[in-house]
Amino acid sequence: MKERLDALLRDGAKRINEAKSEIELQEVKGALLGKQGAITELLKEIPKLDVALRPEMGKAVNQVKNLLTEHIEGKREELKLKASEIPADFDYTLPGKELALGGLHPITQMCYDLNDAFRSMGFEIFHGPEITSEYFAFDNLNFPPNHPARESMDTYWLEGHDSGEANEKLCLRPHLTGGSVRYMQKHKPPYRFVYPGRVYRNETTDARHERAFFQYEALIVDKDLTFTSGKVMIKSILSKVFGQDVPVRMRAGFFPFVEPGFEIDMGCLVCGGKGCSVCKHVGWIEIMPGGTPHPNVLKAAGVDPDEYTGFYVNIGLDRLVMMRYGVDDVRLFHGTDLRFLNQFR
Amino acid sequence: MKLSLNWIKDYVKLPEDMDLNQLAFDLTMSTVEVEGVHDLGKQFDNIIVGVIKEVLPHPNADKLRVCKVDVGTEDIKDIVCGGSNLEAGMKVVVAAPGAMVRWHGEGEPVEIKNAKLRGVASFGMICASVEVGLADLFPANEEHEIMDVSYLDVAAGTPLAKALDLDDMILEIDNKSMTNRPDLWGHYGIAREIAALYDLPLVEFEKYTADTKEEYDVRILDEERCPRYIGAKIEGLGVKPSPFEMQSRIWRVGMRPINALVDVTNYVMLALGQPTHVFDSNHIIDHIEVRRAKDGEKLQLLNDKALELTSDDLVIADKEGAVALAGVMGGAKDSVLPETDSVILEVANFDSKGVRRTALRYDNRTEASSRYEKAIDPERCDLALSLCMQLFAELYPEMKVTAFKDLYPTKLVKKEIDVDFDWLDRRLGKRIPQEIVARKLGTMGYEVTFTEKGMHIVVPTWRSTGDVSIKADIMEEVARMYGYENFEPTPITTSFDSAINQLDMDLVRRIKEYLAFRCNMQEIFTYPWMTDTFVNAILPNTDGVLALSTPPSPSEKYVRSTLLPNICKAIVKNEHSFDEFAIFEEAQIFADKEYTSDYDEKEKLPYQRKHLGCAFVGRPDTVQDLFRRAKGVIGMMSRYTHMEALTFKREEKPYWADETVWLNIYLGEKKIGDMALLSRKAAIACGIKVLSAVLVELDMDELVPLKSRTNRYAPIPEFPTNSYDLSFLVDSMVKWEDIYNAVAGKKTENLQDVLFIDEYKGKQVPEGKKSITIRLIIGSNEKTLTGADIEAVANSAVKKLTKQLGVDIRMA
Repeated sequence: MKERLDALLRDGAKRINEAKSEIELQEVKGALLGKQGAITELLKEIPKLDVALRPEMGKAVNQVKNLLTEHIEGKREELKLKASEIPADFDYTLPGKELALGGLHPITQMCYDLNDAFRSMGFEIFHGPEITSEYFAFDNLNFPPNHPARESMDTYWLEGHDSGEANEKLCLRPHLTGGSVRYMQKHKPPYRFVYPGRVYRNETTDARHERAFFQYEALIVDKDLTFTSGKVMIKSILSKVFGQDVPVRMRAGFFPFVEPGFEIDMGCLVCGGKGCSVCKHVGWIEIMPGGTPHPNVLKAAGVDPDEYTGFYVNIGLDRLVMMRYGVDDVRLFHGTDLRFLNQFR
Repeated sequence: MKLSLNWIKDYVKLPEDMDLNQLAFDLTMSTVEVEGVHDLGKQFDNIIVGVIKEVLPHPNADKLRVCKVDVGTEDIKDIVCGGSNLEAGMKVVVAAPGAMVRWHGEGEPVEIKNAKLRGVASFGMICASVEVGLADLFPANEEHEIMDVSYLDVAAGTPLAKALDLDDMILEIDNKSMTNRPDLWGHYGIAREIAALYDLPLVEFEKYTADTKEEYDVRILDEERCPRYIGAKIEGLGVKPSPFEMQSRIWRVGMRPINALVDVTNYVMLALGQPTHVFDSNHIIDHIEVRRAKDGEKLQLLNDKALELTSDDLVIADKEGAVALAGVMGGAKDSVLPETDSVILEVANFDSKGVRRTALRYDNRTEASSRYEKAIDPERCDLALSLCMQLFAELYPEMKVTAFKDLYPTKLVKKEIDVDFDWLDRRLGKRIPQEIVARKLGTMGYEVTFTEKGMHIVVPTWRSTGDVSIKADIMEEVARMYGYENFEPTPITTSFDSAINQLDMDLVRRIKEYLAFRCNMQEIFTYPWMTDTFVNAILPNTDGVLALSTPPSPSEKYVRSTLLPNICKAIVKNEHSFDEFAIFEEAQIFADKEYTSDYDEKEKLPYQRKHLGCAFVGRPDTVQDLFRRAKGVIGMMSRYTHMEALTFKREEKPYWADETVWLNIYLGEKKIGDMALLSRKAAIACGIKVLSAVLVELDMDELVPLKSRTNRYAPIPEFPTNSYDLSFLVDSMVKWEDIYNAVAGKKTENLQDVLFIDEYKGKQVPEGKKSITIRLIIGSNEKTLTGADIEAVANSAVKKLTKQLGVDIRMA
């Protein structure tokens, strides 16, 4: 009987330890301590024993009973702490609860990326009026008096303000450069500033042409600056915005308000310069005009062109965003369709 | 513009081993954008000259023939053909297998393969001119005529490109990249750039001198619009085709050969960029005069357009009337006619702006007008005259100039520029050897004299019409010819005196980021013009609203004076895809008032302000939530964006607002915006079908950014605070503000705050009442409150509510 008792204790302890849930433990408890349990069975045998042995065995059996009970309670406590309070049919594969979607317009995002890059290089941010006079839209910028851009077919003139002197004629700004002169008139050189904003052209729209689009102008004016510094500026900015080294090249171009003027190309990031449909198989994408501000522009801003020079670029934000994300229709930007705008994080 | 490389080689001798891609790259980097290099010969690959030996009937088709053709191989080939002019002995164009042809001149080119035609195997095809793209050079007289090249003295099997001398490279130049360069609109101008790029000699033209004493009667009546006019009467001519090579060149660069007289003028224009014109001299009465048209004067152009002219148009006229629109196009009556045997040759210069205006006025831009528009210099007439005369002499050995006049009243003044070396070096960032500078400028036609400290430069006439006038232009010439790629990048140096501090810029960004990322609203962009439907829905009238003279469409004339019409339009656009959304826009608005300018006292700009517009859109039963959300967004804005706080008052209902659901937004004592439910009437007028919208608009220029964060530390309470909720029924017209004031209006000991928890109307609440739950925040800075202390505060609140608002306390 002694051996059976020892085996019962060993076996009981093992079964208690192996119980994985309170229900299992309850079963083990029944098997050991229940009415038909092993211990109860043993206790039933005691009266059949020799009287002299009875007290000792009774004590021993009770000892084992207590030990097992203690064990079971200990295990029960352990299982209780381990167990989840939640039913096991809890579905952890249900989708996460989404926050209402909100976001900045993709062009604002690009603008802020550029702002951050330029700010890190000590540039200020400038905003100017969207309705401007012909004086600031064209005259100050070295546009000849009969330049085609001045005609109504290209510019949105305001009713009742579409004739007369240059300071009386008003239009929705056709470009930002006139506004740059405003900044320069108000500040003393040297300058470093960027001028993001929307501009307006009276033209027929299609997937590549819009009546309202965004420009991002950057201007640096200092003594003895060369156009080769301009290249450093553009390369630094684009590399920061795109998060990788971006090749840049400058080639001859003409714009009335710069001299010399450049067309500035960036290496196509889609194909790495090998040539693909995005870059029309040349490996380069024309992204902005730039150049040294024309002396007449500096003069209009009250800056001595013999003493100061500079570098200017005008980045087409719509185009840059279109290239970056593969957007194929420029009209989506002003289309207010949330199914489009929601896509940009 | 298309350029033929062979033609360019007439003027500058290119090295045999010239890499054309490099040439295209160098031109692109330094001068004009080369959009493409096209191998003309390549399109004639596998197209050869064949000799028909025999023409046999086709066994299975009446209209087809089987030709036995010698194509230069050992065996004679069978080629099935339906041509109407097939004859033994004829030399024809054979598209052998592998050639690309256009069937009947239509569609995309397709590759020729060995094929059976109605059961007979055919070695490629015998082509009509249109099928190999040569219809302009070899016009067919009727549809089924195949191209006859019997006149060519070449053996069977000779590649067609070689036989016709079509091996050429065509450069495609982006016209937009040379609008400022009148000198580049012909082969000679580009040749000059190439000469300068590679230090090669450029062919010069000999000046023409007339060998007649007879003066042609030319009169310039408007010298400003016509700085120069050369008229030459040439006899001994006649209408005939021009030589094949001339036709071929004209065709290669995109124009059509017509006849020798017209071809010469086009050839000269394509060569030199100088348009010329010929009139039939038998139709010019008495003399030629260049004058302004009379208002209403009539002229029928070569393209049969009948014009009624204005006095701003310049015409070439004879004694009887206008014969040509100067610089644009000749008239139908007096140009080259089939019987023309003598002409008046016009080589003239016209003012660029006048030509442009006239061409635009009649929507009649031509090769000539687009060149004059760029401001050609009057001295180029000399080159054009020289080349014209040379070509006429070649084509018509018996020709004679019988009268001549060159009127050039005011000579063009060449620009002169002084460039200081010190300045040039500083701007270029490096010193370029003087001999290189002198050589490059010299090849481009500049006369350079070195002075003690720099250079005195005389600009050539062809660059003196506005293109080059200041020393920055010279710097550009030097830099681009030296090669932009040959300048090393220069770091930008900086000096520092203070940090950038732009509070207003930063505030705008913080607000937009707050709305987007904390309030889950989507930013939208709309146009600055408004659509009439929405204007009428939102505005009581259009007084003071600016308008465009030439709007994008008749119903989009008004420039926005508020952001709300376009925001409503965006709601309509999105209503069918979403039943709940929130959007915002930051943009400028305008009004026809308060004209002023911060920049120039002469300038008078209208009222322009930066506004913020928002819309919170949802189902109609959520209006209360939408309104509270909007109020929360505006109310919390100052906390997250570091600006002075906004408050709400109810002073003036916006025109577009619902009668009940509206507030005005205030900064201090100034009203800076509105927040309201779009009225049902306005929503219907906008076409918003189902959803309700709470709109917000405020003037962002009024917002005041804080100079720095304004946080203040308050010690964390030492003793616990207790929440005590009270629910009660109250008359439904009683406002939260009344409840708050009743409870917290007067200071109560240990009452720290009163919060709104919930409002309920509906079942279990009697009509005209609502159930309100509020929370009392109870605590002390001195001790932990006892239950009795807390009850005392609650009882006091209940007493006030009962007394002042007559509430019915449900539970405590």
